[in-house]
Amino acid sequence: MKASWSRICRRRGNESHTKTLEASHAVSCGILVVLGALVFAGDLFAADVATDFSAANRLYAEGKFSDAATAYGNMLQTGTRSPSLLFNAGNAEFKSGHLGMAITAYRQAEQLSPRDAELRANLAFVRNQVQGATVRESRWQSWIGTLSLNEWAMLATALFWLTFALLIARQLRPAIVPKLQSVTRLAVVLTVFSSIMVTLQAANHFSKSTAVVTASGATARSGPFDEAQNAFTMHDGAELSVLDRHGDWVQVADGSGKTGWLPVKQVEILPGA
Amino acid sequence: MLDKFCRIVILFFAACLLITSGRAAGFTASLDRDTITLGEQATLSLKFDGIQPQNAPALPAVAGLQFQYVGPSSSFSFINGQTSSSITYNYIVAPQRDGEFVVPGMRVDVNGQQFSSSSLKLTVSKANAPTAAAVNSGSEVAFLKFVSPKNKIYIGEPVVGRLDLYLRDDVQNFGNFQLTGAPAAGFSPGKIAELQSQRRRVQVGNRVYTIIPLAVPLTAVRTGPLTLGPFTASAVVVLPPQNEGGDPFFRQFFNQGEQKQVILATDPVNVESLPLPEQNKPENFTGAVGNYTMTATAGPTNVTVGDPITVRVQISGNGAFDGVTLPAQDAWREFKTYPPTTKLETSDQFGFQGTKTFEQIISPQNSDVHELPPLTFSFFNPDDGQYHTLTQAPVPLVVKAAGASPMPTIAANKNSTPENQPPQDILPIKENLGTLVTESSPLVAQPAFLAAQAVPVLAFLAAFVWRKRTDSLANNPRLRRQRAVAQLIASGMDDLKKYAAENKPDEFFAALFRLMQEQLGERLDCPASAITENVIDEHSVLRGAPKTTLDSLRELFQLCNQARYAPVRGTAELNSVAAKFEKTVGELQEVKA
Repeated sequence: MKASWSRICRRRGNESHTKTLEASHAVSCGILVVLGALVFAGDLFAADVATDFSAANRLYAEGKFSDAATAYGNMLQTGTRSPSLLFNAGNAEFKSGHLGMAITAYRQAEQLSPRDAELRANLAFVRNQVQGATVRESRWQSWIGTLSLNEWAMLATALFWLTFALLIARQLRPAIVPKLQSVTRLAVVLTVFSSIMVTLQAANHFSKSTAVVTASGATARSGPFDEAQNAFTMHDGAELSVLDRHGDWVQVADGSGKTGWLPVKQVEILPGA
Repeated sequence: MLDKFCRIVILFFAACLLITSGRAAGFTASLDRDTITLGEQATLSLKFDGIQPQNAPALPAVAGLQFQYVGPSSSFSFINGQTSSSITYNYIVAPQRDGEFVVPGMRVDVNGQQFSSSSLKLTVSKANAPTAAAVNSGSEVAFLKFVSPKNKIYIGEPVVGRLDLYLRDDVQNFGNFQLTGAPAAGFSPGKIAELQSQRRRVQVGNRVYTIIPLAVPLTAVRTGPLTLGPFTASAVVVLPPQNEGGDPFFRQFFNQGEQKQVILATDPVNVESLPLPEQNKPENFTGAVGNYTMTATAGPTNVTVGDPITVRVQISGNGAFDGVTLPAQDAWREFKTYPPTTKLETSDQFGFQGTKTFEQIISPQNSDVHELPPLTFSFFNPDDGQYHTLTQAPVPLVVKAAGASPMPTIAANKNSTPENQPPQDILPIKENLGTLVTESSPLVAQPAFLAAQAVPVLAFLAAFVWRKRTDSLANNPRLRRQRAVAQLIASGMDDLKKYAAENKPDEFFAALFRLMQEQLGERLDCPASAITENVIDEHSVLRGAPKTTLDSLRELFQLCNQARYAPVRGTAELNSVAAKFEKTVGELQEVKA
């Protein structure tokens, strides 16, 4: 691969006749080599991840669900993310009896791939196994969730740029203004709508959090300390609204409106309601 | 000087050793007294004359006695040329019971020499409470008295006895109070605590005493006649010094008083422990003795079969909370119950008063359940000698069948599972890893993404400004002519330089004349063809122009006129004319039109 990059560089160098051109070609060659190295390194990394993924899948297939969950977890700890990886991690956690961890993985996968039907099915199935009051998203939130925050942002950006492209065309070619009138109006309306959706999604993402109980029989207390009175008990997998945080404690509310404080180590905090 | 001093010291000690080694060595053991009261301590001294063992000797074990090494003391005397030295190892001897004790003779080996001591006898007598006559006479510096709240108590009933320490009014201070014996067979004693707020002074006989009360929490664990005490204790009191001599002024500053150890004992107190009556004993009685109230809550009350309901029961009052347990509720047959958690919050220092909270998770097993059945708790109240049963009212419940809540719609399962049947398991894992995603913050939180949104806005603003300028130019013919002439002059200058370089004077001056007409026509807002040399003097606009500019214009017009008749000029002269024209045009363009 390096030889081919050198040939390209030599051929380009022979075509140049001035020192300036040679310098610019040298810079270009350098950039291409660096880009090539990055692509090559990326390929190697992807190959390693795929190998680990296959190994974890084999463990799952052999019924070693805990080992598979650990293997998927190790991959996730390296910063590797993919909807399939998180989906499989959720499956392995569920099969290991960890409803909370499974829901956490599914919800993280949902943020990357919100319209994955299999993912939604498994998330719904696991949620159905969870006992006790839990916070569920409203129909409106569910509808907004059909697109991820980034997808809403990209859609809004595309419409925003389209709208301004039309407005610029009106300035440059006043003659076509009548033809673009209806298209421009539609673009403006869609831009405003998508911007509102982005705002709502961003507000949900940044200002709200959900705590998924990962401990079996977690007991919420009336205050953020061990000696506080018991408020209520939750089961593994319960999804709770996060109201406040204080040190290693998080204040939560369950689906019935009861509030209490839980140690952070007993929950996984996810962005969004 | 230093060497000399060291030499003297070494010689001195060498002489001492020689003298000492010449004296007879010996080892003796002694007690400071051979009779003590239980609670007092004696001192055992092991004295070595003329010899010094490496370590303190180990003492033989004596049942009923405790030895505690205090430390060594040494003496050195030099009398009439006779030197003697000894080292004494001191031990505190604390008896654990009364009786006769013998500390056997000890053998020690010092530098290969064997030494032995004779055995010692120690008599420990029981501490007795002072007689009433002695108390009334005021001869007792301090004494103890135990007061039982009741003579008859029920098994399991918690009571708080009072141990009163009486200190005579001349006791300046007291300390090191130690309870050496608290016999309470058949009772479960709690932690003894001083009742600070109940200190008081009383007249006993002909002396005034200060009472320091100590609370002794007790719970009877056995029925039948029981005996409390005699409680024994020791304390150190500080009394006024016997020798009142000396200057009273100094005595008030240096009066340390005399310390005296006192051994205290109470009379035994008999108490009868009664069994709980069998008559009218409730079935669900679990041994709670005291006086209690109960509150209970349950929630949530609107649940599905199998959902957890938390039942919270608070039992408050006075009594032995160790015996307070939540009885099994037979009426909860329709519920699956889990072991309750308990939490005790006491409001007194003995743990006999407070609230015990039980939290129990239960889950209804069928949808026929409409209420949480009454919760009952029974206890025995020793004050009235009766059993009492507390009953909490039933809590209404709404229990839905497990299938009543709508199942989530699962799009993927519609094809894979039969209609109207919930999925039996999760869908299998994915074999393909898919696209890897780097972990990053959302786009809307990335500054580069937000900054990029300014691009279309800026482009639009640029287009808008361009449109405005274009429209403005289209509606201003004067401005348009000004720009056209400026462009014409720029290109005309190139022509002039070309004609000058090619030495074409006719074309040069023709072009020059035309350019001057165009520039002056634009400045004077009149047709270019109407411009002649005369406008320089006639037109008011040019009156504001500098005189040099006007002179240059006249000269240029005259050169153009002369060119029709004058002989051919050279390139250099044409170039200088072009430069002059360029300069003049520049000045002319600054004249306000």
